[in-house]
Amino acid sequence: MEIPYNSTARPDTGLYNGKVGIWLFLASEIMLFGAVFSGYVLLRVGADPGIWSMGLMNKWVGAFNTLILIASSATIVLAWVSLKLKDWAGYRKWKIATVIFASLFLIVKWSYEWPAKFTHYDITFKSDEKAVEVFSDPDFLGKDYEAKLKEVWHKRFDRDEKDWDKVDLKDKPLDGHIVGYYTKNDDGTEEHHPVGEAFGLSFWSHALAWRYDERNEGRVTGAKRDTFLKRGIVAIDFEPAHGTWPAPRHAHAGAIRYAELKGGSKHDGDDHSAHHHSLRIEKSQISRLSSYEPAHSTFFATYYTLTGLHALHVFGGILVMLYHLLPVSRRVYEADPERFTNRIEITGLFWHFVDLVWIFLFPILYLL
Amino acid sequence: MPMADNHSPEYYKGPFKRIIWIVGAILIAGTIASFTVDYIYAEELTFKQALYFGLGIACIKATAVILYFMHLLWDIKFKTISLTLASTVLFFIGMMWLTVGSEVDSVKPGQDDTTWLHGAQKDIKFKGDKSPADPTQTQ
Amino acid sequence: METTTQTEAARHDHHESKEGHGHGHQHFLTKYVFSSDHKVIGIQYGVTSLVFLMIGFLLIMAMRWQIANPGESIPVMGAVLENIYAHNNTGESVFKDGVMSADAYNQFGAMHGTIMVFLAIVPLGFAAFGNYIVPLQIGAPDMCFPRINMASFWAFFAGCTVMTVSFFIPGGAAQAGWTSYSPLASVIPTDGQTYWLIGMILLITSSLLGAVNFIATIIQLRSPGMTWFRMPFFVWAQFVTAFLLLLAFPPLEAAGIMQLMDRVCDTSFFLPSGVFDTGSTPMAVSGGGSPLLWQHLFWFLGHPEVYVLILPAIGIVAEILCNSARRPLWGYKVMVGSVLVLGFLSFIVWAHHMYLTGMSAKVATFFQTTTMIISIPSVILLTCLFMTLWKGSIRFTTASLFALAFLPMFGIGGLTGLPLGFSFTDLHLHDSYYVIAHFHYVVAPGSIFALLAGIYYWFPKMTGRRMNEYWGKVHFWGSLIFMNIIFMPMFIQGFAGLSRRMSDGGATYSLLQNPDVTSGALSDLIIKLNEYITTGAFGMFLIQIVFVINFFYSIRHGEKVNGDNPAESTTLEWQAPTPPPHGNFDTPPEVHGEPYAYSLPGANSDFTPQTEKNRPETA
Ligand code: HEM
Ligand SMILES: [Cu+2]
Repeated sequence: MEIPYNSTARPDTGLYNGKVGIWLFLASEIMLFGAVFSGYVLLRVGADPGIWSMGLMNKWVGAFNTLILIASSATIVLAWVSLKLKDWAGYRKWKIATVIFASLFLIVKWSYEWPAKFTHYDITFKSDEKAVEVFSDPDFLGKDYEAKLKEVWHKRFDRDEKDWDKVDLKDKPLDGHIVGYYTKNDDGTEEHHPVGEAFGLSFWSHALAWRYDERNEGRVTGAKRDTFLKRGIVAIDFEPAHGTWPAPRHAHAGAIRYAELKGGSKHDGDDHSAHHHSLRIEKSQISRLSSYEPAHSTFFATYYTLTGLHALHVFGGILVMLYHLLPVSRRVYEADPERFTNRIEITGLFWHFVDLVWIFLFPILYLL
Repeated sequence: MPMADNHSPEYYKGPFKRIIWIVGAILIAGTIASFTVDYIYAEELTFKQALYFGLGIACIKATAVILYFMHLLWDIKFKTISLTLASTVLFFIGMMWLTVGSEVDSVKPGQDDTTWLHGAQKDIKFKGDKSPADPTQTQ
Repeated sequence: METTTQTEAARHDHHESKEGHGHGHQHFLTKYVFSSDHKVIGIQYGVTSLVFLMIGFLLIMAMRWQIANPGESIPVMGAVLENIYAHNNTGESVFKDGVMSADAYNQFGAMHGTIMVFLAIVPLGFAAFGNYIVPLQIGAPDMCFPRINMASFWAFFAGCTVMTVSFFIPGGAAQAGWTSYSPLASVIPTDGQTYWLIGMILLITSSLLGAVNFIATIIQLRSPGMTWFRMPFFVWAQFVTAFLLLLAFPPLEAAGIMQLMDRVCDTSFFLPSGVFDTGSTPMAVSGGGSPLLWQHLFWFLGHPEVYVLILPAIGIVAEILCNSARRPLWGYKVMVGSVLVLGFLSFIVWAHHMYLTGMSAKVATFFQTTTMIISIPSVILLTCLFMTLWKGSIRFTTASLFALAFLPMFGIGGLTGLPLGFSFTDLHLHDSYYVIAHFHYVVAPGSIFALLAGIYYWFPKMTGRRMNEYWGKVHFWGSLIFMNIIFMPMFIQGFAGLSRRMSDGGATYSLLQNPDVTSGALSDLIIKLNEYITTGAFGMFLIQIVFVINFFYSIRHGEKVNGDNPAESTTLEWQAPTPPPHGNFDTPPEVHGEPYAYSLPGANSDFTPQTEKNRPETA
């Protein structure tokens, strides 16, 4: 038994089956992404000042990935056109190009963009005084810390510069990387631990590993994952992000050792280790510490959900396109070129949709 | 008899390839434009301006993709599908307005809730009500 | 691409060369288990969903026992449950000494709702009947994408498995109700909710695949002459249902993904700032989320979902009533129009489930208005069905009895919905047993009766044998009586203020336990009704045994039917061989007329099949 209209259009509807199917599928996809978008709008409109932390997005990466995806969209049309012209070699060429672009997109996202966020931490403080203590540290921002803080904060949360007064100083985060931590021994002495390597990879000892929330303190049940509680940490070595903050002038012991570990110079003040200078921040000063993981804030939750969902679509698309490059597909093509061309057209439609979603994700997640 | 598309192979060899390059160029230009404008003018633009600009460019790009890459322009179902898409967008905007609206209290502080009162009733004062704020005196 | 294809040519497609399936000697696995034949898949769906209908019913039986006899151990099953059922977080059985604890009640309640809606009625009405009947009724050889159809079933099956397994994991199944409102659902420490979400995502995937398939099939595979307005009403109902599933389910999928993120990655999509769970400090989450977002996304699915539960049922009833009244469907085109309008409107009424969330009055007004407007097409549908009976000479078979009983039962359910659609009456009735009674009248004596009618009606087509009429009628009258015994008193309880989801059946708020309270306590009568309802539920259980036995007995030993069209019906499924082979029709049927040509003046018999060429002049 054969299903009619698999490769030829039904006269009265003018469409072959696959095309009807794919447009219907895309309609449901629109609803899926539309729902997450609507969540984005609702959460953003309802967000209190100082929550929607998007000023720190890496726009270069976003733009780069947009260009890659656009290129892949163009190449998949070219692949389809080649098939229309019965040119298998051309099809292969363009299809492989598409797969390469698509994979590049995922590689950039999953091996660079996300991991960079997972190692990037935000600290908010127990009280305004403690925040001032840290920011106005003479080694860090000094007496007139406010100007710099204001600049950074406006860039991150408040491009219209109208909410500065609405958010307490203690809730204005300091971002950077954790390079070491201190624990207290039973005899009262402190021990310093560099954050170095785990599983032989320096990445994992920074990424996602750290989380602290003062509200977990003293909780019996329902405490969320909390590294400070588990390890008995009293303070951390924190290196403010270079892109945003000036490097602290003084380096702590831990930072130097971290530099050594990374093969840097041992000498304090030496040029090479300058960017490893760090601040010592007491646990008693911290209210919340979180990397830029989904749990960080509703902004990052939305960001990961939207881009993650999108990346899964890209991944699925890659699998299908690889299948269309296998010898089996070649045989299908030879048996019925028109039907195979239709399949490629359908894959293309899906792929363009994935591109479309990204066209909207780029401005709403990176630029606005 | 209508077919999915009735372009000749010549069309795909020549004009269509040109279209692909043109659309690709539009998309790239759009991306670069929105990126650079954001990069250079991020400080000057208000959020609203950035929003209109960013989404405006995105819409132009999206239209180009839909019309040419997804070749809706010469697809037999152009009308059906594009009308559906357009009404989806309208529906989305309408429903977002409603849901966001449902969270925003329609009565501003200091204003009387007269939603369920009609005509002369609006002047009725309930026992224990504070006299309604005089709109000329607030602020 | 420049060829103009003739219908005939397309039928016999260009792939003769490719393969000639050997249908005769297929392996058992490919024929009955991993089959892509729409009829086999339909039956797979049917059997699975009937099993879950039974499970869902057993869950509620246990709950009813608890409500009627708080603190007493459940006879027989109590001991079994204590031994096999999951323990709670502290390692204690939730069925200690065979008594259902509040935890267990919550789990059973949430899973009763979930199973009944997503694992029983929808797959039975939409997937099972739709799969089996729709391609036959439009004269197609199969579904448009047979392999996607198979994938749809197996995704459904995986979802069912996850849901079932969740009963037996430590901590037990989901407890936050079938609506899974956050923050509660996000913060419950047991894993049941996580399983629920994963199960739902699988089920939704399955529905989406199914919906795409149905719509594409109806658009593309109608046989020659089967124009849009020659399609049986059942096909129209399934068409609209498929659109509802296609467009309404994805938002729930999105919401499910977000809740999963909340539970697994500690995000705060649905957790507002400063939310507490246990203890005196707020939870250590970022906050900033919106519990209302969940409700919006859930009910954006939820309302269309109720039409998914009811439209296939109305479609089945329309088929059976025409057939048994030997009359054309009254106002066929009006009904088609109504069902389309209904489908559209069902997307803009969802917030009538949320009047108590404190939405602004203007928005509430919008949703009240749309809710009242949507009741119009529903009433039109019901009226047309009633009018179909007018002057008919009705054949009272079991199928037609169930279909007939559907009308008043659905009517009661629909009319009692109106007070829930106004925000000022809903303030009192919301979350009470009145709501339970209302929607059960729609889905239990409503949808279920229609689905049972469908089973009795199409059984001969599927098996070549009839189910026993006598026992069928016993089943019908028993079900009708017990259904009403169960659900009618719930209206009274609801008016009196009995809340739903109370594991003690309201005893805490009864006059018995609060003798000093002057007003507002539940009277003895209201509490007493609990026992009465539970008795009804047990009666209901017993009478279903008759059905189960009749069903299985008749598959092998039922009375054989003569010919392919024992129901003397006009629609195409009865023109196919019985039971239809893979590929359905020997030759593609050609359609020459309307679907319900019963009792045409001047015709040879009181039915004129759609394939009949020589039709009397007027219709
Ligand atoms: C004749 C069989 C049935 C009986 C006796 C029955 C009884 C009940 C009762 C008493 C409740 C309220 C439990 C509570 O609030 O504590 C309930 C809830 C519910 N039932 Fe049924 N039911 C039946 C069939 C169905 C069917 C066929 C559906 C299909 C849609 C269904 C869907 C639901 C839902 C969605 C809930 C709400 C669950 C929740 O609170 O989250 N029931 N049922
Ligand atoms: Cu509703």
